[in-house]
Amino acid sequence: MDCGTCDSASPVMMVKPEEVEVNLTMTEKAVAMLEDAFGDDRSHALLVGVLSGGCSGYMYDLQIVESTEQAVQELDISGFRVLVPSASSHLLDGIEIDYVDRLMGGGFKINNPNAESSCGCGESFS
Amino acid sequence: MGLYRCKSSVLLLGGEHLLEFLDGLSTNHVNGPCTSPFTNGNAKIIDVCDILPVGDRVVLVGYDEYKDQLVAHLMSRILGRNISITDVSHLNDVFIGTEPDHVPEGATVHHSALGWMMVISKSLNYAATWNQEQWDEHRVMNEIPFHGHEISPKVHPFSCGLEELVHPNKGCYIGQEVLTRMRSRGKSGKVMLRKLNPVEGSTTTGQTHSLCIERVQ
Repeated sequence: MDCGTCDSASPVMMVKPEEVEVNLTMTEKAVAMLEDAFGDDRSHALLVGVLSGGCSGYMYDLQIVESTEQAVQELDISGFRVLVPSASSHLLDGIEIDYVDRLMGGGFKINNPNAESSCGCGESFS
Repeated sequence: MGLYRCKSSVLLLGGEHLLEFLDGLSTNHVNGPCTSPFTNGNAKIIDVCDILPVGDRVVLVGYDEYKDQLVAHLMSRILGRNISITDVSHLNDVFIGTEPDHVPEGATVHHSALGWMMVISKSLNYAATWNQEQWDEHRVMNEIPFHGHEISPKVHPFSCGLEELVHPNKGCYIGQEVLTRMRSRGKSGKVMLRKLNPVEGSTTTGQTHSLCIERVQ
């Protein structure tokens, strides 16, 4: 095949979603759980990202990180550093991070006004 | 025995973790060369692609008519990943059918779920040995669905004879909930059938038999 390494092959125009300034809130329960996780250490940050995949197309990705190589927006929420990747900002603007305390399906939960639908387990959205 | 020139799109993907990226979006388990449908949230087909790893890149061979939807589907999921897509459709011909005695030098071959496939530079002017009618007859006799006939955005993979390309336990992908529910409940809705002519509403008409998509009881 012709792999297009010659000049005649043109990359498909990448349409990058517009970066938006993210507004993000956390419930008291989520803040309490983060205080448990972080303790007094504020050198780390909560990275709130989105990965492709899952039953509905996008999956949330929460990580505690020191830093990241991704371009991010850094927010201060209740004294915690929260990092939101710029590439996912259009999907995460307006979200609320909650913590659900139950045996099955418990943990951090994201309420996202941008999500048209989400899968049964709540891990992915579209 | 012969080869038919398809109206195909050929996309070249570059970047990191390409197979993992494609696996998360397609119904088949993608960990090497394979054929896999890409479906939307309703499990309707966006495109059925042949996935060919070539060096550190991956070639996606789909149907030209569905290329724009496929590219939009892929691009919206790249997010911050280091993945590029190059359209090399205009540089390549895609042939499908049965394996020839001689494969021209420079051709990339693949055992697609739809037939033996060859991607070859247009500059080599390779000629098809089957016309549309011969390819259709081969498909009808072997119950092979194809783009623009049985495979379309109106159907899900179970309806067009592609159930083997829906992996039973690979994990999450778009459309999985619908397909898994159908499979677990034993309900596939409409299915692809080969029937003796004449067949009303056939999707491909052959000389003696035709393919059609019908609801079975």
